[in-house]
Amino acid sequence: MTAHDWFIEHRTAYVTRTLEPEEERSFADHLRGCEECRREVAAVEHELAWLPMGAAPAAIRPGLARQIYEGALEPRRARVLRRAAPWAMAASILFAAAVWTASHRRVEALAATLDVRDRRLAALTDTLSVMRQASRVLQASITMDGHQGGMMIFADERTHRWNVVVHGLPPAPKGEMYQFWFVSEDGMVRGVQMDLRNPHPAFFTVGMPSTGGKVMGAALTMETVSATGATPPGRMLAHLML
Amino acid sequence: MTPARHPAARGAGLPRLRDRPAGERDAALRARLIARDERALAELIELATPWLLGVAQGILHDADEAEEVVSDALLTAWNRIELLAEEDAMLMPWLLRITRNRAIDNLRRRASWRRRATRALTFGALPGPSVPPVEPNEAGHPGWHVHESVHGALRTLPEEQRTAVELAYFNGLTHSEVAERLGIPIGTVKTRLRLAFDKLRGTLAPLKGWVL
Repeated sequence: MTAHDWFIEHRTAYVTRTLEPEEERSFADHLRGCEECRREVAAVEHELAWLPMGAAPAAIRPGLARQIYEGALEPRRARVLRRAAPWAMAASILFAAAVWTASHRRVEALAATLDVRDRRLAALTDTLSVMRQASRVLQASITMDGHQGGMMIFADERTHRWNVVVHGLPPAPKGEMYQFWFVSEDGMVRGVQMDLRNPHPAFFTVGMPSTGGKVMGAALTMETVSATGATPPGRMLAHLML
Repeated sequence: MTPARHPAARGAGLPRLRDRPAGERDAALRARLIARDERALAELIELATPWLLGVAQGILHDADEAEEVVSDALLTAWNRIELLAEEDAMLMPWLLRITRNRAIDNLRRRASWRRRATRALTFGALPGPSVPPVEPNEAGHPGWHVHESVHGALRTLPEEQRTAVELAYFNGLTHSEVAERLGIPIGTVKTRLRLAFDKLRGTLAPLKGWVL
């Protein structure tokens, strides 16, 4: 049996649609290129044209005939629109949801940005208030390894606190730290240590030390991390006296 | 444009179709359909829908889905009615073929069909063969004479062939599904169907059918 013989043998099965789906697809492919099989299929279709009438007629539910009639006469565009309406509505809802989500994300991003700016503004306001309330301002310029920086002390005598800014200096070398000192009646008293790895100016508030007696000034040195004691062994960078 | 109301719905005084001689009525209806007479469409729907629904329901066993299939088939026919004149084609077989093909396509798209068929095998949930005996009170239905002729041809088949035809053709099952349903080899199913359809082709070919 050749392949063509198989198609001839199964032409009735194809017309009556009793072939398996894969066989049916294969038969349809064959038909496109085989005039003889097309003729055979047409002949079988003609001979069995009335076979579906073997099924008994079914009762029509009330309203179905009118529904079919009105559907057939409905303008094509209206029919397409009616059938597309649920999809269009679904698409609209999805679009609205996408827009809402995008807007919501944008609003969240803007709110986060605004929050950061609020914090920054509050910090600047604090700094300005510190400067405005300072009764004395001391300033020293520092030149170090090609950098031009300085140290400023805003002394608030009302609260007995100093607001100190160290700026423009390079990061401390590995194993070393910048050391802030109080100069008191009894000698040097250690204050804050900083590495200045952050590119922004260092800003800190310190109270007066509880030892050493009356504070008369301040100094900034470069010390090894492990340095201790009340005498600065490192390099003196700035020295301010009240 | 507002769709026209179905004549029956708006109370138009259509002459009752069954009051006219069948041949004259059907020939006139065909000509009016080709001329795109909307009242002829209403008459076609009244005449054809019961038969088309019978075919679709036999395959789908789902009234809503069968109605959709029939609506689409009639819409297709109305939109391409000019082909009837061009090809001198038979309208009713064309409608029946479209309806049956769409019903089978729907049936085979159902992912759950095999499970349902299996359940039906076990519990008998599906209806039996869908070609019922002739009901005397339906004898006045337009097209009933064709139904009787086809039924007569089916009755001449040996019982095992008729059962195979009912499952394969009127329930839309494939060879393998019929074999599973009857618990017989697929080769046996193919043989029974080939013999049955060869005989039906010979019996039904001379059938004049309907002017439609």
